[in-house]
Amino acid sequence: MESLTDASFRALSLLVSGDAELWAIISISFGVSLQAILYTTPVALLTAYALAHFEFPGRRTLVSLFHTLLAVPAVVVGLTLYLILSRSGPFGDLKLLFTQTAMVLGQMVLSFPILVAMGHSALQSADQRVWETAHTLGATPLRAMFTVMHEVRYGLFAAVIAAFGRIIAEVGCSMMVGGNILNYTRNITTAIALETSKGQFAQGIALGIVLLVLALVLNYSLSTLRHRLAMQA
Amino acid sequence: MKPPLFLFRHVTKRFGDRVLLNIDQFAVSEGVCALISGENGAGKTTLLKIVSGLIKPDSAKVHVKEVEMSWAKARARIQRNVVYLHQDPYMLDTSVERNVAYGLRLHKEPRASIYEKVADALRWARLDHLAHRNARSLSGGEKQRVALTRARIVNPSVLALDEPTTNMDQQSRISTYQLIDELRNEGMAILVASHDQTGFTPIADHHTQLVGGKLIEVETAVRRSRGTKITRFPG
Repeated sequence: MESLTDASFRALSLLVSGDAELWAIISISFGVSLQAILYTTPVALLTAYALAHFEFPGRRTLVSLFHTLLAVPAVVVGLTLYLILSRSGPFGDLKLLFTQTAMVLGQMVLSFPILVAMGHSALQSADQRVWETAHTLGATPLRAMFTVMHEVRYGLFAAVIAAFGRIIAEVGCSMMVGGNILNYTRNITTAIALETSKGQFAQGIALGIVLLVLALVLNYSLSTLRHRLAMQA
Repeated sequence: MKPPLFLFRHVTKRFGDRVLLNIDQFAVSEGVCALISGENGAGKTTLLKIVSGLIKPDSAKVHVKEVEMSWAKARARIQRNVVYLHQDPYMLDTSVERNVAYGLRLHKEPRASIYEKVADALRWARLDHLAHRNARSLSGGEKQRVALTRARIVNPSVLALDEPTTNMDQQSRISTYQLIDELRNEGMAILVASHDQTGFTPIADHHTQLVGGKLIEVETAVRRSRGTKITRFPG
């Protein structure tokens, strides 16, 4: 087993030298998580808008449900998807288990409640006058919705950033439904878990650095957005 | 005499057990400025929002140019013709110019035409020097003028103004009276809900008071011939 100092130096050299395997893992991680966010955001924000704007029976129960789902463990989502997608499961014929599509699906399930809950809070805080102003100046309900969303855009961006931060750092679901196959479904977190179990720390540390830098960038973006939100209030 | 643009009959609106509005008849006519006064909580804002199609009444018969229609059908006609302005107008988080252009962009006007019209409208409201400022950074009086300009540019038949001069200094109030008077002289129907009865008396053709959910005629102002410009407004 190599020392921590040696492993750290090798990690930096892997990152700087553009190691193909390492950068393939990073690219798979970003590709899968960006796809998941891209597909989930429109539906989640529409759901959040409906929950914030329309009165209907069961609305409060739904809001509570989404807040509860914020705490759902990634492995539980992974297990559920595994059972659904496995050969004997209801969608086994689609042969999606151990594919990037399965990982995207898992991350979509994980990000949806975050986007809905945070999006709902942002949209609920929107001034009632925004909708009325848009409506009275001739906006269709759809256009009025976009105007409201534009006015609370910092809160909505914050929701997207928080959801992205959660799914790119999750390990349980990706491991279970992705299978950790090199150059196909191995992402940053599953690679760190694997390399650590093998006692090969260099690649794990290099990938850890990428996640830490990403966390720093996301948190900085979030605090900037929160500052703008406070200025807006 | 021209028929009213909109005639609302038997308008009722309840909040819980309280009957807020129970109005027999309310007409909105072209080129007429109607002042509605009343105590706080009398229902002035609710009435203006019903007339603007923003709130659905519990019951109402609406005649659009003498044709009676259902609320759903009338509401679409109302939305095309009536613009409601809040007491504290909402400014979109962008420049004054883009705020004023908002309504035109909704109507899918060509970009070149939009900015030409916006520039004209800003000159009309003497706001051209503020065109590129964020509208949220303006004073209350300036925001009210931006809101009036933003409404005027979509060329509505009716303008519903909710307490348009509240919290304004004397100079801003006079500017607002002048703009409203000009809009009325252009043929727009103006509905004003206000405590500021003195300021609007020279402009208003009708003055009604909302008491116990009913509209009571207070006085009928001296009808002036169309186009007469008022040069002196009470401060």
